Amino acid sequence: MTRSRIDLQDLLFGLFLVAVATGTLVATRNLTVGHAADMGPGYMPRVVALALMAFGLFFSGRGLWRAGRGIAPVQLRPLLAILASVGVFALTAERLGLAIASVAAVMLASFATREGRLVETVAFAVVLSGAAVLLFVKLLGLPIPIWPR
Amino acid sequence: MELFDNLLMGLSTALQLNNLLFCLIGVVIGTAIGVLPGIGPIPTVALLLPFTFGLSPASAMIMLAGIFYGAQYGGSTTAILVNVPGETSSVVTCIDGHEMAKQGRAGTALAIAAIASFFAGTMATIVIAVLSVPLSVLALKFTAVEYFSLLVLGLIAAVVLAHGSVAKSLAMVLLGLLLGLVGIDVSSGVARMTFGIAALSDGLDFVPIAMGLFGLGEIIANLERPAERRVVSQSIRSLIPSWKDLRAALPAVVRGTALGSVLGVLPGGGAALPPFSSYALEKKLARDPSRFGKGAIEGVAGPEAANNAGAQTSFIPLLTLGIPANALMALMIGALMMQGIQPGPQIMTEQPKLVWGVIASMWVGNLMLLIINLPLIGLWVSMLKIPYRLLFPAIVLFCCIGTYGIANSLFNVWLMMGCALIGYFFIKIGVEPAPLLLGLVLGPQLEENFRRAMLIADGDFTVFLSRPISAVILAVVAALLLAMLSPAILRTRKEALAE
Repeated sequence: MTRSRIDLQDLLFGLFLVAVATGTLVATRNLTVGHAADMGPGYMPRVVALALMAFGLFFSGRGLWRAGRGIAPVQLRPLLAILASVGVFALTAERLGLAIASVAAVMLASFATREGRLVETVAFAVVLSGAAVLLFVKLLGLPIPIWPR
Repeated sequence: MELFDNLLMGLSTALQLNNLLFCLIGVVIGTAIGVLPGIGPIPTVALLLPFTFGLSPASAMIMLAGIFYGAQYGGSTTAILVNVPGETSSVVTCIDGHEMAKQGRAGTALAIAAIASFFAGTMATIVIAVLSVPLSVLALKFTAVEYFSLLVLGLIAAVVLAHGSVAKSLAMVLLGLLLGLVGIDVSSGVARMTFGIAALSDGLDFVPIAMGLFGLGEIIANLERPAERRVVSQSIRSLIPSWKDLRAALPAVVRGTALGSVLGVLPGGGAALPPFSSYALEKKLARDPSRFGKGAIEGVAGPEAANNAGAQTSFIPLLTLGIPANALMALMIGALMMQGIQPGPQIMTEQPKLVWGVIASMWVGNLMLLIINLPLIGLWVSMLKIPYRLLFPAIVLFCCIGTYGIANSLFNVWLMMGCALIGYFFIKIGVEPAPLLLGLVLGPQLEENFRRAMLIADGDFTVFLSRPISAVILAVVAALLLAMLSPAILRTRKEALAE
């Protein structure tokens, strides 16, 4: 962990909270707030968002003010591979069926590491896909197509 | 004796053939994920939740509970043989357990760990049975006012006692509460923060959130670290410990069990805190503390007993009051709600068969674990040889399918993807995601009880202080928060958690 002049961890968390709180306040601006004895649907979201805003400003301020830990550099390979794997599954599962979606998801996820060997990955993806179909569709009765419709 | 009647009723549920089967499935899965580093009980339980729809509530809870305490057994195997904790709760077991393995005493260490866990599991089952009745009697006096205060206590205490910065954890609880508010407001029927997405009108499912934050986020972070795993390659001789070993371990086991049982009941407890405390205690009590770290048998026996006792007694707040002590118990609450059972103080009187069945199943499950773990140890060791490069794509795939399975909705898969990114972000900035899950699950109940309390009291906030039980609970909350501000306690807490 590198040292840095500002506490980047605190600052990023603070900014994240401020963003979420702002988003909430904007999204709920049209809901009736009401008062304590007769709360409208907007009462709780607003209270929680304001509290989050306070926390967010506190962490941002503290992060800028004191020195602290930096952040280990982000490695894009695992991050993108895993996210892409989930995304591809979401795109293909209902259209192309579980068998193909599983192979695609496993292959993409395998790209997250450099250790993988192509032949092994393909074979493993096919085996896993078969196991998933057997377990989830045949045994547990998950209503999802196996092959493209 | 009411206690025996209750336990007998529980046993009659737990010993039904199908419940025995689900208990076995639960503890086998639990042991497996406990042995494998990089996958914990939280994503596993989240993954299996959708498939408990078809089961009876008792079978579902028995199986899910089995996963949790089964993981405590499995985690120690990896800790001893590989010096990598299979679970966070077995971090301490690495220290002396792996040292014992290096000295050729792996068999003894494994046996002592399993025996200690079994003893602790048995005692903790009794503790749960004894404590449950008085707590549930107290719980019947609760109205919305007291329940709201109790929920606040549960959330605050979970934050204070868990590791990580208290302020950040509080912010995470609030974040969870906010996510819990998404969906159609129950009292007015108005959609809140749904952004026009139909899938959001019923609220956010917590399973994709749990799997994204805990399962996938963790995998991405794991892959950034260089892989390293060396199994102590030695045949495991003589699983039966000598009398001398047993005599040395016994006092530590008893102390660990007591410590774990107490710490497990506290919100925020569960399986992580007790082993650290037990290890520190054993080291302090030992005649020759320098043996610790060099293969002291007490250093395995005490913490192993403590984590198992803690894992089990953390069910007490859930089963009697309907309050989760940690993120995993929050998932259990979710499982109950999926079954159409409203968790809360009335759960014990309304669902006695379920509650006592789960309690009794814990003892049955512990007996199974002892058998699964000792003679079959070779099987689990061979599982350790599965390389991570094959393991993680399988976990990703099962997370995708499991998330889809909750509501047969692809929206949940996208939601999980978003949560994976956020989970990775949280790990990068060093924030613990567990409090978020607590807030998310408890959020709707918190709001409902708050509104009801305000209706009763006509918008008068002092009602929380004028009712005696509620006032006492809130006083404890205030004391906890004040204590956190005191620098002396802050320092001890830091030390206790750092050890």
